[in-house]
Amino acid sequence: MEAVLRAISDPRRREIIRLVRRRELSAGEIAARFEVSRPAISQHITILREAGLLTERRDGNRRLYRARPEALAGVRSFVDEFWMDHLDRLKEAAEQEETDARN
Amino acid sequence: MPATEARTTFTRELHINASRETVFSYFTDPAKMARWMGIEHRLDPVPGGAFRVDMNGRNVAAGRFVEVEPPARVVFTWGWEASEEMPPGSSTVEVRLTADGDATILDFVHRDLTPEQAARHGEGWDHFLARLGVAAAGGDPGPDPYRGPPPR
Repeated sequence: MEAVLRAISDPRRREIIRLVRRRELSAGEIAARFEVSRPAISQHITILREAGLLTERRDGNRRLYRARPEALAGVRSFVDEFWMDHLDRLKEAAEQEETDARN
Repeated sequence: MPATEARTTFTRELHINASRETVFSYFTDPAKMARWMGIEHRLDPVPGGAFRVDMNGRNVAAGRFVEVEPPARVVFTWGWEASEEMPPGSSTVEVRLTADGDATILDFVHRDLTPEQAARHGEGWDHFLARLGVAAAGGDPGPDPYRGPPPR
């Protein structure tokens, strides 16, 4: 989970995910869309791949990447948990307040 | 539900053993909000008034109060300071409180302002990434990655 969140915390990495959302691209093709250096993009790809957000497929000498949205499933529940947890605490606090007031 | 599917709202219903007046105050009184969300608050609960919650000294949720109808309903906009994906005021939270004897039923809805964008074919992923702004900013409390230095 941490690896996924760290991976998507960077706007460039999010952009890479969007690029390969519906098609496979090679590292070179991805790098060509950015102003930053190729090694920098390679590093972003590695981080995304290690977080499970990209799949890599070899085709001869080329490595092709595609987004792997399943990796975000856990994060989705994490988003929900923000409100689930906080609302549980709200309930607890409000109930506690009235219990204290009665006693 | 597949992870790629767009979902534009978070909804939850809670039954709370407290009066509507008490529950309502947890959305408008900084000291009470601190008991369930955030560490520093600027709340001006009038339409157009500030809604700002510093979650952990680093991640700040911000918006404005839109409707304030004690003890039945409060609506405020929501987003994260310094977030491109979900900037302050870019989504809306609506809280409805209904009396159930001495207790309260709380209906909570967090609605994004860009459902049309999310609904567009294939936009689910983008929308979902935008929602991550919530997670990435709200990891409070406890041992989670957001408490540490910014993940860069």
